[in-house]
Amino acid sequence: MERIYIFSRFERFWHWMQALLVIGMLVTGFEIHGSYRLLGFTLAHQVHTVAAWALIILWVFAIFWHFTTGEWRQYIPTMQGVDKIIRHYAWGIFQGEPHPFKITRARKHNPMQAQTYLAIKVLLNPLIWISGLLYLYYNELAALGYGLDLGTIALAHTIGAFLMLAFLISHLYLITTGDTVTEQLRAMITGWEHGDEKNTK
Amino acid sequence: MLKSRFFAVLAAIVLVLPGFSGASPAVKLNTTADHGKFKELQRQFNSGPEVTKACLGCHTEAAMQVHRTKHWTWEVINPVNQQRLGKKNVINNYCTSTASNLGACATCHVGYGWVNSSFDFSSQENVDCLVCHDSTGTYKKMPGGGQPPIKDTENPPGSGKFVKAIDLTKVAQKVGKTSRDTCGACHFFGGGGDGVKHGDMDSSLAAPDKEVDVHMDATGLDFSCATCHKAPAHEVVGSRYAATGKDTGDAHMRGQQSKSNPATCQSCHGQSPHKAGSHAAKLNHHSDKVACQTCHIPEFARGGVPTKMHWDWSTAGKLSPEGKPILKKDDKGHIVYDSRKGDFVVAENVKPEYAWFNGEVTYTLLGDTVDKANGVTLINALGGNASDGRSLIWPMKVMRGSQPYDPENKTLVKPHLAGNDDTAYWKNFNWEKAIETGMKAANAPFSGKVDFVKTEMYWPITHMVAPKEKALDCESCHAKGGRLDQVKGIYIPGRDGNPLVNTLGWLAAGGVLCGVSLHGLIRFLRRKQ
Amino acid sequence: MEKSHIFATVITTGLLCVSTLASAYDADWKRGRVYYRSVCTACHAAQAGGSIAPSTMSKSQWGTYLQADKHAKGKDSMKQYVSKAYRASIKSQNKAAEKFADVPEDELFEDIKAFVIKGAKDGDSPASCS
Repeated sequence: MERIYIFSRFERFWHWMQALLVIGMLVTGFEIHGSYRLLGFTLAHQVHTVAAWALIILWVFAIFWHFTTGEWRQYIPTMQGVDKIIRHYAWGIFQGEPHPFKITRARKHNPMQAQTYLAIKVLLNPLIWISGLLYLYYNELAALGYGLDLGTIALAHTIGAFLMLAFLISHLYLITTGDTVTEQLRAMITGWEHGDEKNTK
Repeated sequence: MLKSRFFAVLAAIVLVLPGFSGASPAVKLNTTADHGKFKELQRQFNSGPEVTKACLGCHTEAAMQVHRTKHWTWEVINPVNQQRLGKKNVINNYCTSTASNLGACATCHVGYGWVNSSFDFSSQENVDCLVCHDSTGTYKKMPGGGQPPIKDTENPPGSGKFVKAIDLTKVAQKVGKTSRDTCGACHFFGGGGDGVKHGDMDSSLAAPDKEVDVHMDATGLDFSCATCHKAPAHEVVGSRYAATGKDTGDAHMRGQQSKSNPATCQSCHGQSPHKAGSHAAKLNHHSDKVACQTCHIPEFARGGVPTKMHWDWSTAGKLSPEGKPILKKDDKGHIVYDSRKGDFVVAENVKPEYAWFNGEVTYTLLGDTVDKANGVTLINALGGNASDGRSLIWPMKVMRGSQPYDPENKTLVKPHLAGNDDTAYWKNFNWEKAIETGMKAANAPFSGKVDFVKTEMYWPITHMVAPKEKALDCESCHAKGGRLDQVKGIYIPGRDGNPLVNTLGWLAAGGVLCGVSLHGLIRFLRRKQ
Repeated sequence: MEKSHIFATVITTGLLCVSTLASAYDADWKRGRVYYRSVCTACHAAQAGGSIAPSTMSKSQWGTYLQADKHAKGKDSMKQYVSKAYRASIKSQNKAAEKFADVPEDELFEDIKAFVIKGAKDGDSPASCS
């Protein structure tokens, strides 16, 4: 099997920074929400706000990267082969069958994966971002006469957080469903799909 | 002879020395007028009004200015709801009311001789200049007419305790600006004793350190009361009767005409007082919902003087087997039961309660319907809520108690408490008689029946501002069960959340976790096979 | 000769008194109060086993005590603790000493005296420590 370099250096940096920031924001966010006490409200709020801005900056670069490299095309939704993938996760994977989707440089995510990522990029992230910025600038908006109920803003933000948490859990599991448990993790670290060991085996 | 010459020389030196050593003659630098040099004051004064007449000789308009103020009239019309307030009219749940008790209460009137309704409110010489302008700290007035004692006087009569004579000449010659001591002589002792009434004002503010009050800190900013409560033409601003619930104006500027209350925090600090620190902006944002006092006065009664929190008049009147009034004290020596007054709860370092407040106050006055069946009667109901746009969350001292009322006429009453007569409660312990006399003095009907009703009185807290390091931190309110736990109508992150969303959210996250765990487990088991 | 000696002494003493009176300083009891509480009481409470309220002594007792100027049973003097040098030595930790750093020593001493006399047991307004 040939090795494919699927995750460029920026993409990997973007991914891991995003992972760090999202996890950090989940931890601090639910503390701000009052779900538990860990750092204390003041510090949690500070970390959450700094992380939010860091993520926004990261995303501005990521969006720029997606469009300049054309990588955005990875996320064009398709239903082609979705049935096979669903069947794989529901049945085939337990039989030791290989994954029905073959990764190529042009299509590095399987259709279900791509659609999930797309949903996150165009639905979940905007929900979290917009509600988060409204949360942060709620007073300025109120001063400008666009008073919104903070409870409603918080509700939207909390729903987004729960969805992100659910995604994170499933994502962490699904990356173990490669040919080996760590194969996909390795790809995101080295950039190379199908590592050397596999080739030599 | 030599010796005597030596002494003569020495004498000459001593005589001449002051002329050289004290290069500049003694001059007061804190005033342009040394009242001690005024001939009008270089005489003996035999009464308060005599001093006032001397004052008015120069300060021609002063008395008439005082006549316009609530310090003189003890009456003020609430501009919002036209209620007739002021000490003359309101009923509280401390010593309840003035009316027939004026002889005792009017010791704190800025006048001389108000004992009953015959007092002449147009008299200029009855204005008491000294009670506010004394700088010696020696001026006092006696109950029953509010005159300063010019000779040693027994008080109360027959008690063997004497109030020392006051040197009116000295007091008059040393008059000065008002001070924490002069204002405090009455306002620190409201409710009948040190710290009793306000909770955020007691004698510890006479010379407080920074921990007790950052503004009045005697070794620091050393504000007098009038630094904030500016008094143009004797009209002291910043009254609770018509409070400013939410000041949305900017800091006042020198020379600028400003109609807004100059005693608010914002009138100096503006709307964005937090400058330093990473979350200054977020803190400034809070000013649209939270009064400055809420975070910056974490506790009141911090100066070592306790304040009364609860007063139960219904237990008053218990006497010892010998028929003598009883006085019980707690282990710190604070009175907790007094036959004349009932049971007390006093407290220091009290965490306030919190409530929306827009500055509007509606009193329950004599004649307003009061019914035990309706639960707690609010002595002063505060206006305000989360949505009126004019309210902030304020810290409050809530004074709770139980006090006499007329269950038939369904009204609060004004009992006759103080006095050396056969109806005064503090002497005879008979409510019916005391209330009859009191209500007669107030020209109000009384059914002859007495019962007790639970009451609450709200005191917005504004003094005893703590150093900024001692201000409340975020978690004090942004938490379940925090300081603002009971405040309604506002979403507080950390306190609030949608229970349905929370439940569904955790179920979803947990469901995903279970799902992937199960999936993984099957994979693991199948792989083994 | 002897007579003139006495005469001269009387004159001198009298003149001394007059000269002090002539430049009589108008004591500020409030400044005395702050110094007494922030410096005297603060140190006494922390190091000397408790504060001493002005009302623990009568006016004449305070007068005698201050006149004798014996602090800590004569180990040192009161004036020492009112001196500019003392104030300078503690002003980094004591706000009252810092605030009144430049007040002439005699004046500050008179201020404190005015406060304790006013607050004495038989003074105009006896001051206990609250």
